[in-house]
Amino acid sequence: MIEVRGLTKRYGHVLAVDELSFDVGPGKVTGFLGPNGAGKSTTMRMMLGLDRPTSGKALINGRPFASFAEPLRQVGALLDPSFMNPGRTGRNHLRVAAKTNGIPPRRVEQVIEKAGLAGAAGRTIKSYSLGMRQRLGIAAALLAEPRVLLFDEPINGLDLDGVRWIRKLLRQLAEQGRTVLVSSHLMSEVQQTADHLLVIGRGRLIADASTQEILDGLGNRHVRIRSPQPDALFSLLREHGLTVTRIDAHELQVENSTAENIADLAHSFGISLHHVSEVRQSLEDAYLELTNGTVEHQSRQASDPSAEGAR
Amino acid sequence: MTAQTVSDMGDTVSIGRILYRTVAAEQTRLWSVKATWWFVAVAATLMVGLGAVVGFEAAACPPDLAGEPAWTAVRFLALPAQFALLALAVTAVTSDYATGGIVPTLQWTPRRTILLTARTMVIAVIVTSVGVILAAACALAAFATARSALTLPLGDGLDRLASIAFVFAAGTVIAASVGFLLRSTAGALVTVFLLMLVLPVLLRLFGEWASALAELLPGSGAIFLIGGQVPGMTTTSSLIVMLAWALTLGLLGWLRLLRTDAHR
Repeated sequence: MIEVRGLTKRYGHVLAVDELSFDVGPGKVTGFLGPNGAGKSTTMRMMLGLDRPTSGKALINGRPFASFAEPLRQVGALLDPSFMNPGRTGRNHLRVAAKTNGIPPRRVEQVIEKAGLAGAAGRTIKSYSLGMRQRLGIAAALLAEPRVLLFDEPINGLDLDGVRWIRKLLRQLAEQGRTVLVSSHLMSEVQQTADHLLVIGRGRLIADASTQEILDGLGNRHVRIRSPQPDALFSLLREHGLTVTRIDAHELQVENSTAENIADLAHSFGISLHHVSEVRQSLEDAYLELTNGTVEHQSRQASDPSAEGAR
Repeated sequence: MTAQTVSDMGDTVSIGRILYRTVAAEQTRLWSVKATWWFVAVAATLMVGLGAVVGFEAAACPPDLAGEPAWTAVRFLALPAQFALLALAVTAVTSDYATGGIVPTLQWTPRRTILLTARTMVIAVIVTSVGVILAAACALAAFATARSALTLPLGDGLDRLASIAFVFAAGTVIAASVGFLLRSTAGALVTVFLLMLVLPVLLRLFGEWASALAELLPGSGAIFLIGGQVPGMTTTSSLIVMLAWALTLGLLGWLRLLRTDAHR
C-alpha cells in the first residue's frame, strides 16, 4: 500500500510536483500516466526517499521508505536503468544489493534466471543493451520478493519479447496481491496492463480512477451515422437533446449515446440509415484530453506563426 | 493486513546488523570494479618497484647510503604513492554519482548515515591496510636489493608504519569526505591534491603569513609525518591538523548526503 499526501517538490521557481495526494492499493496494477516533465519520476523518487519533498509525505506500508531496515523486502523499484556502475558485472550488481539486505546468494541466481540474464550475468554492465539493463533493474527489484513494486517506464528499450515478459510479470505480481505502480507515457501500453490509473500533468493530479472509468467516464463514447436524409436526422437528434456534429454531407457524429438508441430513434421516425457504429475513445484520446494544457514540453506545430517567423 | 504484519516482523534488524551488512556490500562494491585494482597496482608499482630501485642505488654507491635504514625509501615513496590510494578513495565515492549508481545504492541502504559510515570505514581500512603492507614491502624490497648496504631496524620500521597508517587513514577520510561533499570526480581530485600537496608546498614560497596558513593544511601534517623536516610542524600539530580536517570534511560530507537530493 502506498499513501501519498500533499506531496510537493519545488526546484527554485519550478514547481515539479504540486500537492499530490493519492493511494495505490494492493492486488492491482496502477498506471502512473503523464506527459514528459509531469513529475512522475520526481514523485517516485520522493516515495523512495531519494529526493526530499518540499512538503507532504509518502508512506509505504504505513512508514516512510527511509525508515525500513530491509527496504528491499518492502519495496522493489526500477527507476532509470542507466543508473548502474557500468564497470561491474550484472551478477555483482545484484550481489551488492543482496548483501545490503541480508538476502541469500542463491536468490541472486534465481532472479538472474527469472530475468533471462543467465548468459549475460558474468559480463560487465557496459556491454548490456538498454533492454538488458531494464531486465537487470527489474531483477534487483524482485530480489527480496517485496510487497510493493515501483517501475518507472519499465518497457523502455525492451524488444517485443521483453515487453510481453513485463506485461505478464506485472499481471502476475498484482495477482499475487502485491502493490504495483508503473509509470509510462505510452498510453496504449498502460491500457493493456493497468487496472487503475493516476494521471498527472504539471505535477498535479488530473485523474484517479479505474482504467474503465477513465475510458467511460469522460463522456467520449460517440456514434457515427451515415444516412441519405442527414438534415432530417440532424434535426431529430437535436430535438432529442443530443449533441450532433456534421462530419460531411451524409455523415453525423452523436456524442454520449449508443448505436442502439440512435438506430431505434431513426427507425421510429422512418429515417433510413446506411451505417451506424459506436466509437469508443481510446485511452490515448482520454489521456490527451485529461492532460490538455498541462504538457510541459510541447513540439511546435508547423502552423505555429512564431515557428514560421523564425525560419 | 496479514502481509503487513509479516513485513513489519521482518523489518526488526539492529543498527549494528544493518551496518555489518552495508560494510559487506561496500567491500563487494569496491573490489568488483577494475578501477580499484588499478589504483592498488599503481601504488604497489611506485612503492615496491621504486623501493627496489633505491636498494639497487644503495648497493651501487655504498658510501652515500651505507648503513641507512631501508625505511628511508618509504619516506620518499609513500608520499607520491598515497595519491594513487587517495584517488581510489575519491573515486570509490564519486563514481556512484558519475554513474548514477547512488540511486540504487540509496534504495538498498536508505539510511544515509549508515551508508556514509560503512563506505568511509571500508575505504579507510582497505587504503590503510594496503598502504601499510606496501610500505613494509617497499622497505623489504630496498633492503633485499641493497645487498647489505641498507639496514632494516624493527623499531624504526614500526614507527614509520604507524605514521603511514595514520596519514593514509586520515587522508582517506579527507578524500572520501571531499567526494561526498563535491560529488564530482574531477573537483574532488583537484581539491585533494591542492589540500594534500600543492598548497602546503606552494604557500611556503610566499612569506610568513602564507607559511602559517600552510601549517594549517592537512598536507603539511602528512608530509611531516611521512617525510619529516617540515618547518613549524610537530608530531602533535600534524596529528591535530589532519584529524581536524578529517572531522570537519566528514561532517560537511555527511550534511550534504543527509540534506540534499540523492543525485543532484
